[in-house]
Amino acid sequence: MSNVQVSGVAVKTKKRNFQQITKGWNVIFNLIAGIFAFLCVFPFLFVVIISFTDEKTLATDGYRIIPAKWSLEAYRYVFQTGDTLLRSYGVTILVTVIGTIVSLIMISLYAYAISRRSFAYRRFFSLFAVFTMLFSGGMIPTYIVVTQLLHLKDSVWALILPLAMNAFYIMILRTFYLTSVPDAIIESGKIDGAGEFRIFLRLVLPLSLPGLATIGLFSTLGYWNDWFNALLYIDDPNKVPLQSMLMRIESSIQFIQQNSANSSISLAALQSLPQDTARMAMVVLATVPIIFAYPFFQRYFVQGLTVGSVKE
Amino acid sequence: MGGTFFRNLNRNKAMLLMVLPGALWFLCFSYLPLVGTIAAFKQYRFSRQGFLYSLVHSKNVGWDNFKFLFSTDAAWTITRNTLFYNIAFIFLGLVCSVAMAILLSELVNKKMAKLYQTGMFLPYFLSWVIVGYFAFSFLSLDRGLLNHILGSFGGKSLQWYSDPTYWPYILVLVYLWKSVGYSSVVYLASIMGIDRSLYEAAMIDGASKWQQIRSITLPLLKPIIIIMTLLAVGKIFYADFGLFYEVPRDSGTLYSVTNVIDTYVYRGLKTTGEIGMSTAAGLYQSVVGFALVMISNFVVRKMDKDSALF
Amino acid sequence: MSNKKRLGATLTAVTALSLVLGACGSSGSNNNAASSASGSSSSEKPVNLIWYTIGTPQKDVDKVMAEVSKYTKEKINATVTMKMIDWGDYQQKMQVLVASGEPMDIMFTSAGGFDYVQNARKGAFLQIDDLLDKYGQGIKDTIDPAFLSGTKVDGHNYGIPANKELPQLEVWRFNKNVVDKYNLDISNVRSLESIEPLLKKVKENEPTFTPFVMTKDYVPYVPYDYLITNLPMAVKLDSPDHKVVDILETDEMKQALETMHKYYTAGYVAPEAATTGSTTDLESTGKWLLDRAQTQPLADNVWSASFGFPVVSTPASDPIITNTSVQGSIMAISANSEHPEKAMQFLNLLNTDPVLRNMVDSGIEGVHYEKTGDNRMKNLPESKNYDMPSYSLGNNMLLYLNENDPDDKWEQFKKFNASGVPSPILGFNFDTTKVATELTAVQNVKEQFWSSLMTGTVDPATYLPKAIQQFKNAGLDKIIAEAQTQLDAWVAANQQK
Repeated sequence: MSNVQVSGVAVKTKKRNFQQITKGWNVIFNLIAGIFAFLCVFPFLFVVIISFTDEKTLATDGYRIIPAKWSLEAYRYVFQTGDTLLRSYGVTILVTVIGTIVSLIMISLYAYAISRRSFAYRRFFSLFAVFTMLFSGGMIPTYIVVTQLLHLKDSVWALILPLAMNAFYIMILRTFYLTSVPDAIIESGKIDGAGEFRIFLRLVLPLSLPGLATIGLFSTLGYWNDWFNALLYIDDPNKVPLQSMLMRIESSIQFIQQNSANSSISLAALQSLPQDTARMAMVVLATVPIIFAYPFFQRYFVQGLTVGSVKE
Repeated sequence: MGGTFFRNLNRNKAMLLMVLPGALWFLCFSYLPLVGTIAAFKQYRFSRQGFLYSLVHSKNVGWDNFKFLFSTDAAWTITRNTLFYNIAFIFLGLVCSVAMAILLSELVNKKMAKLYQTGMFLPYFLSWVIVGYFAFSFLSLDRGLLNHILGSFGGKSLQWYSDPTYWPYILVLVYLWKSVGYSSVVYLASIMGIDRSLYEAAMIDGASKWQQIRSITLPLLKPIIIIMTLLAVGKIFYADFGLFYEVPRDSGTLYSVTNVIDTYVYRGLKTTGEIGMSTAAGLYQSVVGFALVMISNFVVRKMDKDSALF
Repeated sequence: MSNKKRLGATLTAVTALSLVLGACGSSGSNNNAASSASGSSSSEKPVNLIWYTIGTPQKDVDKVMAEVSKYTKEKINATVTMKMIDWGDYQQKMQVLVASGEPMDIMFTSAGGFDYVQNARKGAFLQIDDLLDKYGQGIKDTIDPAFLSGTKVDGHNYGIPANKELPQLEVWRFNKNVVDKYNLDISNVRSLESIEPLLKKVKENEPTFTPFVMTKDYVPYVPYDYLITNLPMAVKLDSPDHKVVDILETDEMKQALETMHKYYTAGYVAPEAATTGSTTDLESTGKWLLDRAQTQPLADNVWSASFGFPVVSTPASDPIITNTSVQGSIMAISANSEHPEKAMQFLNLLNTDPVLRNMVDSGIEGVHYEKTGDNRMKNLPESKNYDMPSYSLGNNMLLYLNENDPDDKWEQFKKFNASGVPSPILGFNFDTTKVATELTAVQNVKEQFWSSLMTGTVDPATYLPKAIQQFKNAGLDKIIAEAQTQLDAWVAANQQK
């Protein structure tokens, strides 16, 4: 403080600059971030536009930013299937919510334990987790474990459990605990006579909200975007999540294209597979809800930040 | 000996309880299925007694299943492509995401920062098939945007899908475009977790913004950067199939720069579908990745014990 | 060190656990087998057959199968559960299901989805020679014998092919509007060279059109039969010497590729043909003259209906019976089926009984369809919940006719089938086990060169020798030699009979 007083006004204006970047840099940063963000949003806008394009116009003109003719036909087609789509939304939301909660609990506990120096087996369990990231036994043995050992075929748990843990997230969170949760806090908890679980819940978790929010976000996205587990484990059409429905259509279209020489298949496939525009409409419908969920997570970054500074 | 073991167990009771659900999960979903790796050394044949029986009783073929990865002209190309692209992805991805995270954290208007970040996230939701369509709407010979622009400047239309020259750049750009928004979240979260008082102290010492980034933000990001990089190194022999297959539209003339291990295995096994050979390819990728992670972890441990993975 | 020990201990534990798991699995299936055996001996409890088939899952499958089960229970004391797997997922999912020993009795297999020959050799299907003699007399009487002989793998039958179009016939398919507008004569068209004047005329008059439409899977027709679809090993048709050659080194293919390149340079072909996956968008706009397709009787009508404008076609080849055409749709009994005999009885009924076959195909009478004549039917609005691909569900010639079908539809099919000429290698299935390594390399070389050569995108003068050399480097000669050895043995064995 004394320094500032000595140097006077010039330093005072400069002091403000310490907290924030200068105006010029702010403009440049805004430009960079803005342009990149626009480049990222643009294809999605394009997908939205295509989904509102008239199918015939699309066939003649190709993809256009401003199509010659607009149409709601794609959405009409998608909503025609009505309850199927709604049910898929239901499955996806259920799996995403429960899955994120389950995996956050499991991951945060595991990561916390292996972040603690006092845990005698921390190195073993770290390795135990990391090793799984590098080797995988493959699809068929996993399928057998899920269906014959855990008996999860056609159950939503078959969509939740296989994604519940992830060594990658564990290592990120462990690092987060190590860097953002000072040992002193844990020690103070011990002195107060709190048990390990209590320390974890009351002292560590509040400090690691940004980390948890990050993992939570990843895990939410993972569940929302997952289609492969449904491909393997779900036969019941009422339990097919949204992305899986989308992927089924994509891969079926590809299959039929690849087998177009086979007259039986190409004739059989004339039964209506959705057109380009309808597929794009489904992409839009599958993506929009999660975009709106994103700010919710972002709030937690900020909250975690404030909690952290209050504690200090 | 046994007494110490049990005393140890007891002392770590709470911690062991914490890792228990996770450890059980790993056992079920990661370790049990590892039995399947035996298939890499077998000529797998079905039998009515189920998978394990078939696995054990299939013919042993030694290293034969691995041969197709090494014995041909393409072996060098796919190994080189997989490695170089991944190294570029790791390095450029890291630089761009960290830069983007710092940049976003410094923006004066936090509302705008939020908006940008949400936008950057969108590519993550588009499947590679859709990204492929999108790339095509840019690069198509007769209907593409780029050739349209080239044409309006009097340039000559380029045969994007049959000229390998530009593809290394295109692939790297598309990769960064799709991943930077997503991966910068991790760094952004870490930056937000940094104790503000550190910056205040630095300000009082008269450090400029740039000095603050260099001497506070980056060093504090180091552990997470090392972790992310180590994890990526483990995946260095795996290529993103969709990126290398859908985006170049599987164009044969581009293979010299787009064929990677994963696409090679896919194309090669399309007709025979030998389980043994695909398992062998996976095992090869894992073992190399494992060795590389072990080596780099060892190096990191030598330099900075706390940042190591294990 | 201690860590390593612990890791070792865990691995041992894992192995032990997995053995337990394996034991559980096998004991479980033994129990099932025992119970089912006792069930069939008392001949009281109906057996449930699990049937996996291809196609977009339909809403009313369970409803229809309940009805089907009523019928089959009466006839053969068995009920049926059908599981549909979508087109694009079928291959991958079936591989996992079969490898993991998922219970199933009947499954769809074909040359193009869950490959018949490969999986028969890997042991996925039950060998049904005896069952066919015992319970499949109806099948033997109804379906064209060429189907059963053509689907033998190493001398044995592993599945029941669907009775449908037998040979494959390539046609030039024309957009009739354009043909009429420019008064084009298509009666003399047959070879690749013969279409040139037509393409030229259309290109001159309609510069925005794509005269010759094709996807990247296009291959000019040459009179050879491929040992494996689209891989260069082939045997010349109507030639007695059974010699396996590299198709790229034949004069016919060389000439065809030169013609294609000429067409490409002239702008008759879309500039991006070599990477084009689908042409349906382009074709629905009507801005094209011709493409090549595989036909079957009455296909022109179906095509015209789906495009919304008239389409005509003329042959581009002889009708040839090949392995691929014979193996287009097969129903196999799973190797792990608990009730193979019932499954065979069911297949026999499905392929001979019009009531059952039409129920499986069109659903419940009065709900999904109604009969308008003796062997005619009309779809009702509810049929949108049960819209099945007919080709994959058994004998097609038992199907009721649709409203627009001519009376002699199935007669036309029979005539078409009778016109088919067997390929010299019909019934020979190349066993690739010994050359699996070379085959993966050859497959990759093929993907690299094939499309750009076949669509004429690149000049064969420079690229063809390059491709031939790359194939050789990848080990094509070894594959051809192995194939020749197997083929010679097969020819010798067949001539003895």
